[in-house]
Amino acid sequence: MPDGAGRARVAGLLRLGGWAGGELVAAVPLLAGLAVWELAGWMLGFRFLPPFSRVLATAVGMIAGGELMAPLGASLLSLAAGYLPAAGLGVTLGLLMGRSRGLEFVLSPYLNAFMATPRIALVPILYIVLGLNRAVQAVVVFLGAFFVIVWSTMRGVRSADRDHVEMARAFGATKRQVMWKILLPSALPLTLAGLRLGIGQAIRAMIAAEMFIAVFGLGALLRTYGGRFDAERLLAVLLVVVAVALVCALAAARLDRHLTAWSRTPR
Amino acid sequence: MITIESARVRFASTEGGAPMVALADVSLTIARGEFLCILGPSGCGKTTLLKAMMGLVPLDSGQIRIGSHAVTGPGADRAMVFQNYALLPWADVTANIAFGLELRGASREECARQAAHWIKAVGLGGFEHHLPRQLSGGMQQRVGLARALAVEPEILLMDEPFGAVDAQTRRLLQEDLLDLMQRSGKTVVFVTHSMEEAVLLGDRVALMSPRPGRVREVIEVGLTRPRTASVEREPRFTELKEYLWERLRAMRDEAADA
Amino acid sequence: MAWEGAALTSGSLLLPTVEATAWRLIELAGTGELWHALWVSNHAALLGFALAGAIGVPLGLAMGRWPSADWFFDPYLNVMLATPMPAAIPVVIMVAGLGLPARVLVVVLFALATIVFHARAGFRLVGWELLEMSSAFGASEWQLWRKVVLRGAAPGIWLGVRLGAIRAVSAMVTIELLLVAVGMGRLILDAQGSLDAAGLFASVMVIVAESVLLAHLFQRFEQDASQAAMGMAAE
Repeated sequence: MPDGAGRARVAGLLRLGGWAGGELVAAVPLLAGLAVWELAGWMLGFRFLPPFSRVLATAVGMIAGGELMAPLGASLLSLAAGYLPAAGLGVTLGLLMGRSRGLEFVLSPYLNAFMATPRIALVPILYIVLGLNRAVQAVVVFLGAFFVIVWSTMRGVRSADRDHVEMARAFGATKRQVMWKILLPSALPLTLAGLRLGIGQAIRAMIAAEMFIAVFGLGALLRTYGGRFDAERLLAVLLVVVAVALVCALAAARLDRHLTAWSRTPR
Repeated sequence: MITIESARVRFASTEGGAPMVALADVSLTIARGEFLCILGPSGCGKTTLLKAMMGLVPLDSGQIRIGSHAVTGPGADRAMVFQNYALLPWADVTANIAFGLELRGASREECARQAAHWIKAVGLGGFEHHLPRQLSGGMQQRVGLARALAVEPEILLMDEPFGAVDAQTRRLLQEDLLDLMQRSGKTVVFVTHSMEEAVLLGDRVALMSPRPGRVREVIEVGLTRPRTASVEREPRFTELKEYLWERLRAMRDEAADA
Repeated sequence: MAWEGAALTSGSLLLPTVEATAWRLIELAGTGELWHALWVSNHAALLGFALAGAIGVPLGLAMGRWPSADWFFDPYLNVMLATPMPAAIPVVIMVAGLGLPARVLVVVLFALATIVFHARAGFRLVGWELLEMSSAFGASEWQLWRKVVLRGAAPGIWLGVRLGAIRAVSAMVTIELLLVAVGMGRLILDAQGSLDAAGLFASVMVIVAESVLLAHLFQRFEQDASQAAMGMAAE
């Protein structure tokens, strides 16, 4: 009979095995899809459908060869330059709007209009007003993320429990303390949801704008290879774009899970 | 000593009609160290009266004084225990208990020390880092009570604190509250809609009636202290309970006739 | 108002006044150019949106109802939700050419994931208690769907449809601006090319107006559906 520590180790191993098994089971559908792609690529021989393995090899080759580095760098730079201010200002404005009904009344029509409008339609205007330069890319990313972050944060503040506010007041909290200790934490789950939606929209707007102007970034590369009907390279770049988007989405989801574990109901 | 003089509170009606009178001319005096229960049917303004004492609801006229100072807002001399606990879901038991101290700018060590003390006092040892959602209703209210006691108030205001827990848990909480309060010498105002609870805990019971909210009479309980739950077997307990039940029923008939 | 002020004070050629934009808009509407462009654009958007709804709503509900369906499609849903769809447009064009089918396909790609996601979330809101209660009363699968699932999941479905409609308009504008210059996209690009700032603003305003209108319209449906679903829960 194993001792306590030994038993714990066995249990740990089993759990690890179970975890890896769980991940594997979850990956089966995707692996199946990739296998179908691979087979179809070899068997059908369509020009626009090279096998997945060849696309993957091309992507790796393009990264190793440095061909992808400059566009990837340009994209990530504009993403950071647009998203970080959008997050900072968006959360701030959202908090202000959450606290002031007047501000919400004045600004929410604009917010709703911007959220409903395809951001890509604004790109031609931006290029005409600001000229052809990289700053426009950052502005596009900013516009992509900003409004949904403001909206979610505002909803978050509004979702604060009135009983919590009253409780804090009963314990002598000042307006400032109510803001920092009650409203801000209450708003956190929806704020983070907004930041998650925002990063997705930011990447979408960024790629669209890069494709529109076809000078900088991964979007420009997509346009180039698309124009040449170079399916292998086109799909390789697409793979990289999807990977960047997935990494951003997963990182945001992880942050969200970490910070708002308290808001999920126990199982 | 708490002195309430001709307190009136009106709320704007939601339908835009005449304002609803929550408190009409309430006068009451509560002695230092007294345990006063406020009993009444729902809508009689008992919670409003308690919140007015806390300084959360402003009076339209009249005055509430503590000692010689008029109540104009929340103060360090009073603390409140809430009906629905009002615990912060993102903070663990320790942080919830230390919340009031933290607002008053107590140091981190002071908060931790006080929280540890009160966790033990209310019987929550071992749950220091649990989140509210991991606790039962009774345990959550123990946190609510500890949070109020941790700021060392002279006056404890309790708004139907055990209204939302099951009967057995409620009994345990009542016994523990008796035990904690009889040693402390604090003034307690305890709102309830349970006759047994009012008689079991209170030195006096203030009976309120609705529409408009008024104090109808104040009854001396007169059971000896220190009390335990065994007072329920005394004739005086049963007699008081029946008297209160008569009065509450009479109030309902009045309302039906009106 | 802020726009008008900025335009007047800067006196810029690039930022037209509200007045100029309005006149240009009337002009465009008068020649029928605008109506034709709107028709061309929305034709593809409408077809794609209808197709996305026809696939997305049943798929999302099925994923809510049957764990095996959820297991299989969930990874794809997540990848589709995260993928910036504009990047897929060149691939679509390589496969389907530059015609109407390609534009319809792009609209489907943009709108589908959102619709599936919210239909599934809507289903999950119905709650297992209600489903279990219904089957305990001997409801058949068909009755379950008709009486419980479709009504209970309606708010989620409508939310998905609303967001899907916004995505469809976005898809339509994106493909027209990027690769297939027809419809409203053509109008915008022509205006940009000829430095007709008022025309550019006017065309963009039309798209904004359409998006806002659609969003409002579907929000109404969504609210009605929520009220009906709450009524159901209260029964």
